[in-house]
Amino acid sequence: MATSLSSRTRTEETLLLDQSARTRFRIGFDRWIGRLLPLLFLVAILPILDMIYYVSVKAVPTLTWTILTGQSPYADNQLGVPIIGSFELMLIATAISVALGLFGGVATAELLSPRAASAMRLAANMLVGIPSVIIGFFGLFLFVLYFGWGLSLIAGAVTLAIFMTPYIFRTADLAFNSVPRHIREAALGSGASPTQYILRIATPIALPQILTGIFLSMAIGVGETAPIVLTTTAGRIPPTGLLSQVTWVPALIWENFSQGPGSSLFIYAFQAAFLLLIIVVGLNIVVRVVAARYQKRLEGLYQ
Amino acid sequence: MSGATAPFTGPVLSVEHLSVLAKQRRIIDDISLEFPPRSLTAFVGPSGCGKTTFIRTLNRMTELTPGLEVEGSVLYLGQDIYGPKINPVLVRRRIGMVFQRPTVFPMSIFENAAFGLRIIHEPDDEVDKAVTEALTRAGLWDEVKGDLDRSALSLSGGQQQRLCIARALAVRPRVLLLDEPTSALDPAATQRVEETMERLSEEIVLVLVTHNVGQAARVSDRVAFLHTGHLVELGPTVEILERPKDPRTQQFITGRFE
Repeated sequence: MATSLSSRTRTEETLLLDQSARTRFRIGFDRWIGRLLPLLFLVAILPILDMIYYVSVKAVPTLTWTILTGQSPYADNQLGVPIIGSFELMLIATAISVALGLFGGVATAELLSPRAASAMRLAANMLVGIPSVIIGFFGLFLFVLYFGWGLSLIAGAVTLAIFMTPYIFRTADLAFNSVPRHIREAALGSGASPTQYILRIATPIALPQILTGIFLSMAIGVGETAPIVLTTTAGRIPPTGLLSQVTWVPALIWENFSQGPGSSLFIYAFQAAFLLLIIVVGLNIVVRVVAARYQKRLEGLYQ
Repeated sequence: MSGATAPFTGPVLSVEHLSVLAKQRRIIDDISLEFPPRSLTAFVGPSGCGKTTFIRTLNRMTELTPGLEVEGSVLYLGQDIYGPKINPVLVRRRIGMVFQRPTVFPMSIFENAAFGLRIIHEPDDEVDKAVTEALTRAGLWDEVKGDLDRSALSLSGGQQQRLCIARALAVRPRVLLLDEPTSALDPAATQRVEETMERLSEEIVLVLVTHNVGQAARVSDRVAFLHTGHLVELGPTVEILERPKDPRTQQFITGRFE
């Protein structure tokens, strides 16, 4: 029988010493859930660990500096070219998406009417939900064919930027919205114009979150395949101009992996995957370090 | 010290037939009063009586809350701050406000105090002078003069609140609005802020909102009692607190409202 405070037969002392079956079950249940949760966490990260392990085991023994510089016997499949390609794609795509995403995020959080802001958020959420291959087709039809850019670096980069923008937009919007309300009121109440508030007060506070959003969108974008595979074509040398061909790391994985385990090219897929892993993990570490450093300055702000 | 620029002789601040509507409900109902120079007027009343809304109309802060509509006028140096050509940003640059919680910005003590001057692009030597003066007037100078470059977030709550007062004073305003400035502070810090308020009330117009009748008694010259958006009674502090005319005022100060 459950213990209830209203039960007249129970005195204060018996409440403390309650040993009823239900109470014992609750305490035991609580203890077991506490043990189960870390286990579930392990289950969740197991695929990631397995992937890192498998890729590393395959790739690391074959890694030499020469596969980067092109002195390898398979010069056509050297990794240096796709790395430069990935770098250039990311540079252009990040520049465009940061400009669009930040501007949109700030406008939505601070300047637009509530109705316009919720329309922006809806649009961004829908854009995140669209499969990247659809965005690839959009890029193919608009940039490659309609604008006549052809399968090129710029078409791939702009398409990738469309894919990355909503992530930056959403974190910027959230970051500016999470500036404490009383700080916003105090700044505007001191006669700061909305622009002055955004630049002098809100941006320094929102910066760690914004940087996190930028790096995360880069980490997502650098491994993205579908938007680029449809809008670029692989070249054997690094891009020479905006309309040039471009090879990038995920493409190399896809191309070589699809040759099958019997092919001598198969191992390149693992080398490229290993490299991509390092880039993504590296970006994530940079995010943590940068965000932590900025967060330190803000200690005491959120009481 | 009040930074006189225009030879204006009327009241610095006066309110005429001011009402605030939220979804057709009047949360401030037809309030008119004048604020005499060098005075501290305390607005008291039960929670929800509209005192915070009222003080926020005095520098158009109400506009930052969507859905509030203000009727009537607030005259600052004879000019209606709700007039058609008036920019609310410029109003707030002249009529500053201090809030319930300390609202220091994540920057140095100096830059916090200088904020109001930075946004109007005052030259650096002016800023230096005004910051020193403002910190002195806010009663904080002696505690922080050695490390003005330290983060303002490292100050105690009471020091932060006096820094917020200094920030508002740095532009040498004629009016300072204080919205329950001590409600988040401990008794010692409260006392320091009250001393600062008393000193300032001999220089400029202070408008104080407080839920604490004792504080009104200690620092104010005049007390206004608000109830359900109405200005029930206004008069010299002693008169209102000792001989209130209206039964509602009497009930409030004797503690029969919460």
